[in-house]
Amino acid sequence: MEQYDVVVVGAGPGGAMAAKTAAEKGLKTVFFERGRKPGEKNSSGCGLGQRWWRDFPEIMERLPELPSYRKVEMVVINLVDENNRLRMRSGTTGSNLCANRWPHGMDGASVYRSCLDPFLAGLATDAGAELRTSTLVSDVIKENSRVTGVITGEGETIGAGVVIAADGAMSTMARKAGMRNRWGSGCTLTPQLDFGCDESKLDDVIGNAEWCWFGPFYGAYQVNFRDGFHIGTGRWLRKDWDTRPVDMIKRVMDIPAFQAMARAVDARPREYQAHLLPWMEKPAKSYTGGMMLVGDAAGFPCPLEGEGIWHACVSGKISAETAADALAKGDTSERALTEYERRWKASSLGLEHKFGRELVELWDNSIFDPELMKDQIQLLLEYSMLNPFSIVFDWGDAHLECFNQHLSHFLDLAPGFADFGSRYIKPFAKAVWPENVRRMLLMLKPRLPALRKLSDERYLWTLARASKALRPYIEQ
Amino acid sequence: MEEMKIDLKKLVKRVGDTGDFIAFDESRCDGCGKCADVCSMGLWTVSEGKARLSKRYTELCLECAGCWEICVCEAIDFWYPKGGTGVVIEYG
Repeated sequence: MEQYDVVVVGAGPGGAMAAKTAAEKGLKTVFFERGRKPGEKNSSGCGLGQRWWRDFPEIMERLPELPSYRKVEMVVINLVDENNRLRMRSGTTGSNLCANRWPHGMDGASVYRSCLDPFLAGLATDAGAELRTSTLVSDVIKENSRVTGVITGEGETIGAGVVIAADGAMSTMARKAGMRNRWGSGCTLTPQLDFGCDESKLDDVIGNAEWCWFGPFYGAYQVNFRDGFHIGTGRWLRKDWDTRPVDMIKRVMDIPAFQAMARAVDARPREYQAHLLPWMEKPAKSYTGGMMLVGDAAGFPCPLEGEGIWHACVSGKISAETAADALAKGDTSERALTEYERRWKASSLGLEHKFGRELVELWDNSIFDPELMKDQIQLLLEYSMLNPFSIVFDWGDAHLECFNQHLSHFLDLAPGFADFGSRYIKPFAKAVWPENVRRMLLMLKPRLPALRKLSDERYLWTLARASKALRPYIEQ
Repeated sequence: MEEMKIDLKKLVKRVGDTGDFIAFDESRCDGCGKCADVCSMGLWTVSEGKARLSKRYTELCLECAGCWEICVCEAIDFWYPKGGTGVVIEYG
């Protein structure tokens, strides 16, 4: 039986980063891919966001070399009503805070998985990891409740000091090791339709932007590539599932504004994909004796909007670092691999999931709730009127009369959302930094004659006595 | 718009002979039909209170595992096709 220090199952981003990191640490590493090449079994949105500049700048620098690359500098929201009429189109690049945060600030990237995955796998093989493609890994070898190797679909047995399972949402490794079977809840199905387009028309009409289509339907993203775009959406696989995946895509294609954009860029449907995407309040158990789960296999994708590739890469790296330490100590038991969970929880990945429940519930009850969106659209539109640019547009009366009419209407609509606000927005109050709350309260102080003569500390304590809600921010 | 027709069979590429990779235990099925709703390719149908899988599923399945995940009766077992076979995604 062949023996490796680290066996990685899956050559997607999680598997490639795990294999690369393990090989860089001098571990004898092999990674397996069931497709003929990495990426050929994979699909994603696929937008890579700003965190990549902080955590993997050497990768982001190289992405413009890939054939499908398009820079992303802006996100544009298209808000549509129940008559399919475009009611709002609004985009932003983010502020200079964002632009100055890292060398390339707010730039994201879109690349097809058929470009990205082979590129990442190449980094791993360059580092010395062995890649075996067209090989399905179908079972684990266990000794005394510890995973000690894998078995391929052809019956080959491979021994491993540690196994790293990066085999996606339907993780055969997790199932065979007895960690779980079906997710049961928390997993979505994400249908996606790719369109081929004219590159220069896409440059002119859309430029370097990601679009979204929101309305009284399951919110959809439009990720734009060099000469194509994805329309994708998703929904949790639960008892209330009552639609056809293709119909979710067709719903977006029914929108006249979508059709106009598609005509303008010569879009043609090119390929259809559907995937499981875990969208969890909190990730699943990510380790057992001799094995760690990485990426979608552990339920790591973002609980707000389902991004998962960065999460796969970060957890891939952490799993290999943990593997190296465990092998050096000669202890790969479940207790020793608790270290993996400790490390990912302490990272930005863990921070993301700290408010996983609140983020999932907000999304589930807004963008993914067609009935609620019918009313929310009107509230959002009224809110969008309360700024100088919109008031310039509305000259149904003297402009300041119009502003007050919109403010009154917003105040009419707002109480109807009090229940929504208290259930899905208020839980985020505890996420606001106390320092930010104290600063906002201190900005009010000069305008409060009864309190402005107090010292800042005394002023804040007075407010804390008057309002229970403010206490946690002031007492810290 | 003629160009916007979605003919799923034309929008999915495949390679090789996958062999079987879905198993169905009819005795566990309660005929809820969620597998039929969730399958993009229409490979599950329900008749006389039980689901049925198309005999041609190996030629059409997208390997999404949606049917496996949504079946609360655990009547559907799904694993991946043989290495190097099945769906080929070029623009994923």
